[in-house]
This record gives sequence, structure tokens and C-alpha cells, in this order.
Amino acid sequence: MIGKKLGQRDVVVLDSIPMLIICIALVFGLYLSCITGIASNNAMRYMIQIFLFITLGEMWNLLSGFAGMTSLGQQLYIGLAGYSVAVMTTKFHMGLGAGLAVGVLVSTIVALLLSLILFKMQGMYFSISTWVVAEAFATLFLSWKFVEQGSGMTIRVVPYPRIGEICILSLMICVVAMITVYCLLRTKVGLGLTAMRDDITAASAVGVNVFSHKLIVYLIAAVFTTLAGGIFFINKGIIYPENGFGISWTVSMIFIVTIGGTGTVGGPIVGAVIYVFLQEILARYPGWSNIILGIITILVILFLPTGIMGTLQKKLRFEIFSSKRFSFAKHK
Amino acid sequence: MSEPILQVQELNAGYGDFSALEQASFSVDHGQIITLIGLNGAGKTTLVKTIAGLHKPTSGKVLFMGEDITRLSAEKIVSRGLSMVPQGSRCFNRMSVHDNLLMGSFPKSARKHAKETLRHVYELFPVLEEMKKRPAGTLSGGERQMVAIGRALMARPKCLIFDEISLGLSPAIIKDIYKRIIQINENDKTSVILIEQDTQRALRTADSFYVMLKGKMVLSGKSNEVDAEMLKKAYFGI
Amino acid sequence: MYIIQTIINGLLLGGVYALLGVGMTMIFGIVKLTNLAHGEFIVLGAYLSVVLAPMLGIDPVLTLFVSVPLMFLAGFLLQYFLIGKAMKKGNEPALLVTFGLSIILQDVMLLIFSADAQHINTSYAVASIRIGELEISVLNIVLFIISISAITALSAFLKYTHTGRAIRATADDTDAAALTGVSVKKVYAIAMGISMASAALAGLCVGMKWTFYPSSGGSYLLIAFVVVVIGGLGSVPGTLIAGILFGMAQVIGGANYGLLISYIMLLIVLIVKPKGIFGK
Repeated sequence: MIGKKLGQRDVVVLDSIPMLIICIALVFGLYLSCITGIASNNAMRYMIQIFLFITLGEMWNLLSGFAGMTSLGQQLYIGLAGYSVAVMTTKFHMGLGAGLAVGVLVSTIVALLLSLILFKMQGMYFSISTWVVAEAFATLFLSWKFVEQGSGMTIRVVPYPRIGEICILSLMICVVAMITVYCLLRTKVGLGLTAMRDDITAASAVGVNVFSHKLIVYLIAAVFTTLAGGIFFINKGIIYPENGFGISWTVSMIFIVTIGGTGTVGGPIVGAVIYVFLQEILARYPGWSNIILGIITILVILFLPTGIMGTLQKKLRFEIFSSKRFSFAKHK
Repeated sequence: MSEPILQVQELNAGYGDFSALEQASFSVDHGQIITLIGLNGAGKTTLVKTIAGLHKPTSGKVLFMGEDITRLSAEKIVSRGLSMVPQGSRCFNRMSVHDNLLMGSFPKSARKHAKETLRHVYELFPVLEEMKKRPAGTLSGGERQMVAIGRALMARPKCLIFDEISLGLSPAIIKDIYKRIIQINENDKTSVILIEQDTQRALRTADSFYVMLKGKMVLSGKSNEVDAEMLKKAYFGI
Repeated sequence: MYIIQTIINGLLLGGVYALLGVGMTMIFGIVKLTNLAHGEFIVLGAYLSVVLAPMLGIDPVLTLFVSVPLMFLAGFLLQYFLIGKAMKKGNEPALLVTFGLSIILQDVMLLIFSADAQHINTSYAVASIRIGELEISVLNIVLFIISISAITALSAFLKYTHTGRAIRATADDTDAAALTGVSVKKVYAIAMGISMASAALAGLCVGMKWTFYPSSGGSYLLIAFVVVVIGGLGSVPGTLIAGILFGMAQVIGGANYGLLISYIMLLIVLIVKPKGIFGK
């Protein structure tokens, strides 16, 4: 790869009409397989995981890979989502939809309030603070009687949704999340984000409104992370402070994005599929799973810094869902 | 003594796709003062950073006292006797003047003479001894330059590079600092490379000169035989 | 009387909290890296003492003579051969590598030591000294002495030795340090070594005071973060003051609200003075 630089014409951007048709067909196929029961319950169990992890990965990638806001605290919104659903269904006997809606509302309010504090900080201060906030919420929920403290809450609704329904819901959220990210990056906001990631001072000097750009990204990430988290816990049926607000959510997001390829829209898809199957394989070797995930992550960072998707894109010279409005413009 | 102390041969360097240095060559004799002059962005700083080991060249060679130091790291080059006073002095702001100077004698070769060299530096810049307890960050621009020069001297260099030493200083201070540089050159027989935009002063001080433009050496010669018209053309590239 | 008792306890424990943060603040200030594995380093230090004390048949405090050099070496090698390489790729890759290290270490310790609670027992664990109506735990005094002497020794090392000066110079300006003959790579490795050595000390202290698990790293890291950010990144005296403030908050807030109080303290510091009390 050294020496030969890519010219604009050398790159095949695969977001033309055929790609769109393939995507729609794929989504529709997945939808049909869920609704007709072609996919077995076991298959759907995997699919739910994959769809939700793609969503979480895309959102973390949007924050970290595109906007340069490396958050270690997105689990905050997952926990809030899980607890909103649990509280609405058990305490107020409402449906799951209401639970999710309340979750989104709560997350939006929390995200808005936090943005006032968090956006004052950059780099590692931001990363640390996001994590501290998530931990503070975990501590709060651990000692809050209303949410049963450390003993956790179960999600009770009648009738409980079938796995097929949950699967379709996950698919929908995943698709909407991806379309949102894709569209956002192709607008002027995307351009501003790239400028911010490269040099935040320069970006604000040329008139990028850093605060509003950050806010848009942070809110979108909060909302979709909430939705994905809510469905996770609907699927699981029970939530504790430790698994709701746990740092392991961030572990998986980082793994998915790093393996797949930071700053590529396609990366988290690859990452999520690998992650879900790897988890399944590693479950046979109890205790070793995180060790192996960690080693893989470190090796990928050292030897494949652009991840699988990034490396493939460079080697094969194509781009799926190009987020760039100007692909590989050659600079002198 | 016939062999030059520093020889730079066809050095190329750059940043990513951008080439900042093209086939740059020059040499410095023992005890000589030379100056590299050129406009902002001509590649002077890249050149000296590459020589000092802070930037890696893409090709070319740097010989110091006959030894190839092209790929050596900055700290190894310093211990061989080639020091640099970087642009903007770059003192250790949170450390005292005294500690800044002691840092200069970090190389093992210089450490055993540290006391003696320190006395020498304080003789050269008495004002530094008066403020040796103060953090370097609280000093004026001129004083900080003195600290940086003193720090470089502490390594007991055989060749000393000054990167735009007069940048941002008042004429009176520049004059004073130049006087010290000549003193260093005469007393210790230290070879000196002056990187300058202040062409007149540099030419008056140096034995020979090189003009850089867009990463290339475009003119060189003895300072006392310089043709003003040719120099101007080379300097501005017209 | 109760108030004085509380203040004394907070002060004594504050040393331990400062010790938790001091290794982290060094890495922040010198290597300019957020080391997310620091909590696991501390737990590792605690386990080392747990294993070494019966093995050598000595008081747990004396295991430091083995665990500190061991951890220093581990930190040196880790920085030199792994983290340093990742830092060349940028800040974020380096951050993620330390994150990877943290989850690897956590599960390796889980495999070796199981998930059971551990505690470092000493003969003086429950002893206390009475002064008038005040009752001061001997253990707390021992912890305070260990922490304060370690932090003082570190400050003196940074201030008066060649290596210490080189470390401070590198923290100030890496290029200028290289130009005075300092190998930045080596200084980073030494800094990580010191950081891990301090984790050995901190591990012993928390292990004697509280029970710990292989998964305790996260909470220690968080305490370290809070202390470091309140004190100002890279500031050793700031860390000491912040540690004591944190200790007071723990003692006053108790088990239920201690942590919450310190998180709120942190957020207030971040809003009012985003670079910490002693930050520049």
C-alpha cells in the first residue's frame, strides 16, 4: 500500500442503486424469516444479539470514531432503558411500548443535562467523566428503594412478546439507527464532525458550532442506545444495577468497533457478527472469554489499526456506505 | 582538522506526502560558524530537526566527526557532542533554572563535568545564577533563551545548532545573545550553525552561509564575498 | 469528639486514597496516557502480597520488598514493548490497549485466584490505640505511614535524582528532553514501572483494609480517577490533598453515600475548575 496513493476514480463506492436494492432485499428477507418462523428460535436469539450489538456499535462508533468523543459511559443509557421498562411494567402496569417511550424520554433529559457538564471537557476528561456518571447512577440505583436496590427488578407484562416480535423490533431499530448514522454523516453535520475530530480548535475557528454538533451526536447516540438497551432487557426479563450500568457494555462496544473498523459505517456490522459468534464459542471455555477478547482487541489495534472493514476497504479499494461526501480526494 | 565536523549529504525528508527537504547538503568545519538562511517554510527547521534526530529522513546521510548519525535517536546524537537550541527556547517551564541547566548535563559523558560546566555557564550568563531558583516558565523571553543556550552548553557540545534564536526578542537582547554565541565559538572552539531569518546579522557573524528555498539549498558561499543582488534573488526565489 | 474521630480516620485513610491515585497521576502527567488497567494493577499488587506472605513466612508489609521490584519490572516491560507501540498509533488506540489489558488481567486473576473474597490478615488488624476518648486503629496508622512515606519518597526521587529530573523534563516537553539526551521511551517505561510499583503498595494497603476480588479493579480505578482529577492531572501534592478530601467524604458518607458524595464532588470540581484544584 505504501507509495501508491488512491486516486478518486480508483475507489468503488458501493452505495449506488444496486447496493441499496441488496440492502432492502436483505432487510426484507430477515424480516420475512422472523415473521414466518423460517428462522428457528435459536437463530433468532443470535439475530437479536447481532442487531442490537450493531446498533450499540454504530452509536459508539458515531461518538468515538466520527465525533472524537470516546465515551466509556454509554451503559448509562442502557441501564436507564432497562429500568424504565421494568418500572413502567411492574410498578405502573403499562405496556412495553410505554416503557421504551419513558426510557427514551428519561435518557433524553439526562443526556441534555449531562451535555452541559460533559461537553466542557475534552479527551480523557470526557472519557473519565462519562464513566464516572454511569458509575454514579449504578451506585444510586444500588441504594434506591424504589427500584429494589441491589436485588434488581423483573419485567412483567402479559402477554410477554414472542421472540419473533422482539427480533423484528431489534431489526427495525438497527436499520433505523444505520440509516440515521448514514444520513447524518452525509449532511453538513458529518463534515463538521470530521473537522472536529481532526482538530477541534480549527473546526470552531472556521465556524463549526462545536457544541451543537456534539449535542446532536450525543443525543442520537443516547436515544438509540436506550432503545437497544431496552430491548435487551425485554429479551432478558430481569435487570440489576450491575448488569444495567456495567462497564462490560462498553467492553463489547469497543471490541465491536475496533475489530470492525473505527470510523467506518460497515465496521460495526462485521464487528457485531464476530462478537456474537465469538461469545458463543468462548462460552465453552468459561473464564477465558474476556482474556481472548482482550488479546484479539490488542492485536487488532497493533497490527490492523483500521479494523477488518478499514483494511478490506484499503486493500480492495471499495467503500460500502461511504460516509464521505468526497471520497479519497487526492491532496498534493 | 581537514575533515569537516558535520557533513550533511543529499538529505530528503517530509511530512506524509509533503516533502519539506530535497537533496539538502552542506558541511561545517571545526570551529566554524555557518548560517542557514531562508524564508519561513523554506525547510530550515525540518533540516536541523532531522540532523538532531527529532525527525526521520527518507534518504540521505548525516556524518558527525566521521560517524554516520543519520538514524540515531536524538538522545544518542546529543551524547556524541551535537546539541541544538530549539526554536522558541523550549525550556522546562515547571522546573527551576538550575534544574533546567542540570538537565543539560544528562548525557553520561557530560555528567562528570557538570559542576565545572555549570560554573562556566553561570560565568557566561551571570543573570541566570541570580535567578537559579525560579521556575523557567516565569522568565522573560530573552532569559529563557539564555537558559536554553546554557542547557545546550551543559552537554559540552562540539557543535551547536541555534534554531531562530532571535525570534521574538528585542534588538538589544539579540545583540547581547549574539555576542555570547561568538564568545562560545571563540573560547571553546565550538562549531556553530545559526538558523536565521535575520539575514544581515547572521551574515556578519558567520564565516559562510547557505540559502534555502522550498526545501532546497539554492546558494552558498563565504559571508565576506556575498553578492547582495544574488542573495536577494536566491532568498526570495525570483 | 465524634467529629475529631471522623477527621482523624478520614485523614489516615486519605493517605491510602492518595496512594491509589498517585500511580495514575504519574502516567497522566508524564506519559500523557489514561491507564484504564491501573485498577487491575492494584488488585494484582494485593494478590501478590496474599501469595507472598505465607510463601516467605513474613509479615504482609514485608512482601513489599519483593512485590515492588517485581511490579516495577512488569510495568517497565509492559510500557517498553506493548503500550509504547500502541501510543505510536495515537491516543485512542493506546487507551483501548490499556482497556484490553484491564479485562485480560481481571480474568486471568479470576482463573488463578477464583472469585472468592480475599483479605490480607495481620496481627494488628483489630488493635487500636486509645488517646483520651479517641480510639485510633493501629492498622489505619500503619496504612498512613506506608502511604505517606511512599509518596514522600516518590516526590524526593522526582526532585533530586538525575532520573527524576529527566522524568519531570519529559513531562514538560518531550522533544526538548530528547535534545538534552533523555531517552523518552525509557523514561516512559520507568514511569510505568513506578506507577506499577505504587500499585503494589496501594494493593497491599487496600488488601489489609478491605476485602477484594479479581473484579475489584474497576472500583479502585474509579477512586484513582476521582482523586487524580480532583487533585489535578500529574500533580503529586494535589493528589495527596485530594486523597484526604476523598477519605473525609468516605468516612462522613459511610458505606452507602461515601462514593456518591465523592462522585458529586468530582463533578463539581469538573464544572468549576475542569483541570482540578491543582491543575494548570
